[in-house]
Amino acid sequence: MNITLDRLMPEPLASIKHGESSIWGNHVVLEEGKRILLNASSGKGKTTFTTTTLGLRRDYSGSITYGDKNIQAFTADEWTEVRTRQIAVVFQDLQLFPKLSVAENLRLKNSLTDTFSELELKQLLERLEIENKWEQECGLLSMGQQQRVAIVRAMAQPFEWLIMDEPFSHLDVENAKRSMSIINERTLAQNAGFVLTTLGESHGYSFDQELFL
Amino acid sequence: MLDKLLFKNQDRLQLLIAVFGSFLGVTFLVTSIHYLIKVQEFGKGAEILGPNTIIVQKKVSNTGTLGLKPTDFSELEISKIKNMTFIKEVQPVRSNNFKVWFGTKDPLVPPFSTDAYVQTIDPQFLDVKPDVWTWKPGDKFVPVIMPRDLFVMLNTFMSASGMTQISDDLVKQINCEFKLSYNNKTEHLNCRVVGFTNQVSSILVPESFMEYGTVNFSDGTPQKITQILISGKENEFGLVEDMLEERGLESRNSQMVVGRLKSIVGTLVLVIMSISIIAVLVSGLVLIQYMQLLMSRNAYEVRTLMRIGYHPKKIIRKFFIYFVRIFGIITAVGFGAFVLLKFVLDGVFASGGVNIDTQLTLTSIFTLLFAYALFALASFITAKKGILNEY
Repeated sequence: MNITLDRLMPEPLASIKHGESSIWGNHVVLEEGKRILLNASSGKGKTTFTTTTLGLRRDYSGSITYGDKNIQAFTADEWTEVRTRQIAVVFQDLQLFPKLSVAENLRLKNSLTDTFSELELKQLLERLEIENKWEQECGLLSMGQQQRVAIVRAMAQPFEWLIMDEPFSHLDVENAKRSMSIINERTLAQNAGFVLTTLGESHGYSFDQELFL
Repeated sequence: MLDKLLFKNQDRLQLLIAVFGSFLGVTFLVTSIHYLIKVQEFGKGAEILGPNTIIVQKKVSNTGTLGLKPTDFSELEISKIKNMTFIKEVQPVRSNNFKVWFGTKDPLVPPFSTDAYVQTIDPQFLDVKPDVWTWKPGDKFVPVIMPRDLFVMLNTFMSASGMTQISDDLVKQINCEFKLSYNNKTEHLNCRVVGFTNQVSSILVPESFMEYGTVNFSDGTPQKITQILISGKENEFGLVEDMLEERGLESRNSQMVVGRLKSIVGTLVLVIMSISIIAVLVSGLVLIQYMQLLMSRNAYEVRTLMRIGYHPKKIIRKFFIYFVRIFGIITAVGFGAFVLLKFVLDGVFASGGVNIDTQLTLTSIFTLLFAYALFALASFITAKKGILNEY
């Protein structure tokens, strides 16, 4: 599934002058299976890109299409299908449930599609060195630990696209590498593409395409 | 897990207050509706006249005795009473203008005979099966409703004759007869008691019998309407009483007392029921408002659940089922409390000599179900609106 942004201009960014290479106001196609780096400094609209592309905000001009369907026309049923089986996401603010344990946060997501067994979920946590946090409330974890839980949660569904909004901002180099390794395996296994927004760091990974804001 | 996420962190005190308010409202609602129906039903079946129905005549004064003031009702007077807002129906009570004797004609009881005064009233006011209350010349017997005073007199006579007194059921089995005569013409007609009344002092007969007697045994004197039958509206019997006083009319005291009591108790219960309905609505609203508060407190959780792939319908269902279950428990416990309260109240009524029917009323149960359905609908609409607001 290609994602097409056609002359997309979020209202909060409309008054700002954007460069010729910027995705804002241009025609951009995110081709299926591609690994895309979205590189921009703070305040350029990385989170706006994520939330707009995912249909979470609608204050924009232009259009966004998944395949050949404008997302403005999506019904609740269609959005649910997209969010459960087509597009996975790691939000910049993580959007975990702080009062629930790591296990409960992961089960809540995984139970929608039964993508992983409980053992597999634990193994993923183990690879990110937080397997001992299984029963701990998410709100009590450090930001870096929470970021890793959010990455594992995003993996716990089938997807064609994985959209990540600064997912490694609180991770050290080693943990970012481990996370990237898991992401790489999962996307390859599903022939899925991903968009990684960063402040300029490519995390030692080679991308098929680089976008600018 | 969803339950833990959405319902664990609540203001339990606020929920308890809302639940307690709803419980009180539901209990009083079902109790008041039950007793309102029981009060309306009170006395039904025990008497042959329907509820809120009385027979009245003009008070006899000295001038009336001297013939200076008429004691009968004119068409105009009847029509004026009929047009009053609290009156449902007015009908003349027809009396015999021919000679008639009533007596026993059965080997089981000694012969007893007396001049009789018979009356007929519109069958719509009588609590007697229509197929029993018919007569035509040639039928085996004339059905009659006997004044209880006459029955007591008959039993006194039996006792004085050294015979065993007879019960209500037995008197319905014995053969009686009417003797009608005019000049040299006499006719004997079998009759049988089909019911008793405390409300009428005369023997009641079907209209066709009265017609038969008037045509064949009357001396031609026109029938005067000295009594009329008045049917008042529910809970407005006090107004009927005032009207009787105002117009110089009177009725048998027992009829008035029952009517007055039913009117007062009915009005009181109606007031309680109105308060209960308001209480149920207010407590229902408090619960709904609590639901809104809970959704608003969980706005982040609801929004995030939908962002990670939960269908809004699933979350709506969660809130809906949670609150419908709470109200279901309230309704069930409220109904249980009503049954207990009813047990106590029925005992209080019985000890006061008021033997009302103790069976549960279907209407009160349906009212509960209706209140439950109304709350379920309000819960669904609120949950849908609240969740989609976060979508």
